[in-house]
Amino acid sequence: MTRYAMVIDLDRCQGCRACVEACKVENNTPQGSLWMHVFRLEEGTYPSTTMSFLPRPCQHCDNAPCVKVCPVGARYKREDGLVLTDFDRCIGCRYCELACPYGVNVFNWSDPAEHQYLDWDDPDLPDEVRGSVPPWHNPDHDVVHGDEQRRTSGGGHAKGVVEKCTFCVQRLERGELPACATTCPVNAIIFGDTDDPGDSVNAEIARGDAFDLLPEAGTKPRVHYVGGKHPTRSAREIERVEVEV
Amino acid sequence: MATTQPIHHRELAPQEMLGRSRIWTLVMGLAVIGLVLGIVSYARELTGGMVVTGMRDVGIGGGATWGLYVAFLIYMMGVSFAGITIAAMIRLLKLEQLRPVGRIAEILSVVAVVLGGLAIIVDLGQPLRGLVNLFRYARPQSPFFGTFTLVLAGYGFASLVYLYLGSRRDAAVLAERPGRLQWLHRFVASGYSDTPEERERHDRASFWLAVGIVPLLVVASSTLGFVFGLQIGRPGWFSALQAPAFVTLAGVSGVGLVIVLAALVRHAEHRSDVLTPAVFAWLGKLMLGLLFVYVYFMAVELVTATYAGSEADADITAALLTGTYAPIFWTSVAFLVVPLGLLVYAALAKRWSIGMLTAVSVLVNLGALGKRYLIVVPSQTHGTLLPYGEGSYTPALVEYGVVLGLVALGVLMIGAFMKALPVIELQREEEVGQDA
Repeated sequence: MTRYAMVIDLDRCQGCRACVEACKVENNTPQGSLWMHVFRLEEGTYPSTTMSFLPRPCQHCDNAPCVKVCPVGARYKREDGLVLTDFDRCIGCRYCELACPYGVNVFNWSDPAEHQYLDWDDPDLPDEVRGSVPPWHNPDHDVVHGDEQRRTSGGGHAKGVVEKCTFCVQRLERGELPACATTCPVNAIIFGDTDDPGDSVNAEIARGDAFDLLPEAGTKPRVHYVGGKHPTRSAREIERVEVEV
Repeated sequence: MATTQPIHHRELAPQEMLGRSRIWTLVMGLAVIGLVLGIVSYARELTGGMVVTGMRDVGIGGGATWGLYVAFLIYMMGVSFAGITIAAMIRLLKLEQLRPVGRIAEILSVVAVVLGGLAIIVDLGQPLRGLVNLFRYARPQSPFFGTFTLVLAGYGFASLVYLYLGSRRDAAVLAERPGRLQWLHRFVASGYSDTPEERERHDRASFWLAVGIVPLLVVASSTLGFVFGLQIGRPGWFSALQAPAFVTLAGVSGVGLVIVLAALVRHAEHRSDVLTPAVFAWLGKLMLGLLFVYVYFMAVELVTATYAGSEADADITAALLTGTYAPIFWTSVAFLVVPLGLLVYAALAKRWSIGMLTAVSVLVNLGALGKRYLIVVPSQTHGTLLPYGEGSYTPALVEYGVVLGLVALGVLMIGAFMKALPVIELQREEEVGQDA
């Protein structure tokens, strides 16, 4: 049995947000929809301030509050540890968004097909790009995934449903790493199988400085952090990320 | 009490009772306009996506993902709770003097359930899927489940049954007389002719339904409190007090609306004969008790949050007491505490003026709406556990439009009922005389 887990090495992370970009390209997320977010944090008062980075994908909790509250079972937990959303079943009540202590869920407030960063009908665009919406479409999202055969990889990006990080379920099925882990230029994101004793992810989790985000919420996340410390309540974002939906 | 009933009310069909009331026509006209506005607003939301509302994602979106709709929904669920409670209490405890407001409470309950259900639908991103999937894939583990089954279905069913059983007898009486709505009265009566045997069965059914409803009342309304109270990820929501406080405030606002509606009926239909000051005094005392408990809960919650709250709790409390939400918070508190003072005075002086009670009822309902809003929103904008920074939420015009439309629909439903069937039960003893 495979049990996926992710370890994020905060000592390595340089806050470049390449993972955020990779996620958007792989998953074709619309404008304002960040499945991966990297906090660029500051703590303390000048001159004694410290700066830190904190990548925040979905924590794929073993005791996931979002799964508990979903009134229709669109959000579910798989045996391999993934917490996925059935985009065809979600009714858009957004309860999962409120149950999640980490704030990883994103609602499609407007029609994703019409809500891209670029106006693809712009006459100034080159001919081969113009008029195709979306211009690059990952065909992996059109198919069903897993034993449960549900459309869970973010395909369709329908208006009025909730989305979030899937650990790139479409890539895992092919034996590839999630897009963020592959792209990270400093290997800060280590992804692996905790049921495989030889997997390097186990050694990382066993490190003395390993911690989970918000352990008091009792969610048992499958994303662990090493090489840094949990942000305190006084931490603030250096620049406020404001998405436009 | 029946002997004090002036005979002319017995002779009048409900539509004549109101007369050619200009005010009724005016209110209904305004309600139609409101309903149209609501439909237009919702059409905008459906076509443009929920981006036209003021709601945004919690966290990076810097907003609140539940807003005015959910505040309105839980307010309406509270009203339906109080309506069905009063209706059941009258049957169970045989509170004969309260019978005149029984049907008002039942109508209010039915209308509130309908509006609450619609408020859920307008809040969904995929409303059509919601109508199918909420039944098809229903999960009892979700705190929402109780809202749909126990509150919407349970209260809706119970109050409709009460409303129907009661109206049926009146319709049977009215169906004897020719009139424009005779067909409707015949239809509602559907064979019931109010013989002593039938009445006996009717009373027995009403009583046992009340017995069944009483446990449902506490459980169902608590599940609505659990929608918020069970979420550990939302400081400000996660509290054992959420469920009982919800039930109590529901009672306060619902009894208040019953008082307002009863005062309106008393005025519009000139029914000071049955809607006596004693009836209002009884409702006033009930409200006093509930309001006292709620204000106590509120104080306990504040002390806990300010004395021992976590940092996240402290942030929310600060936003409530002195920050962004202070104006709404203190206004709501004043609208609950000042009425409490007035009611205590009325109880001590034993003077329950109907005007004062109506004013108090309007105030506590505004206060309750404010408190519902403050349960839903601040936890989302100021209660993120990771360092997202403060969010903000201002309801958009579309949301106000939709809520206005829902309220207008409720007014239309009540108004139409008043024209079609007696809003106050016809007197039983006289009917006995007539039948014999």
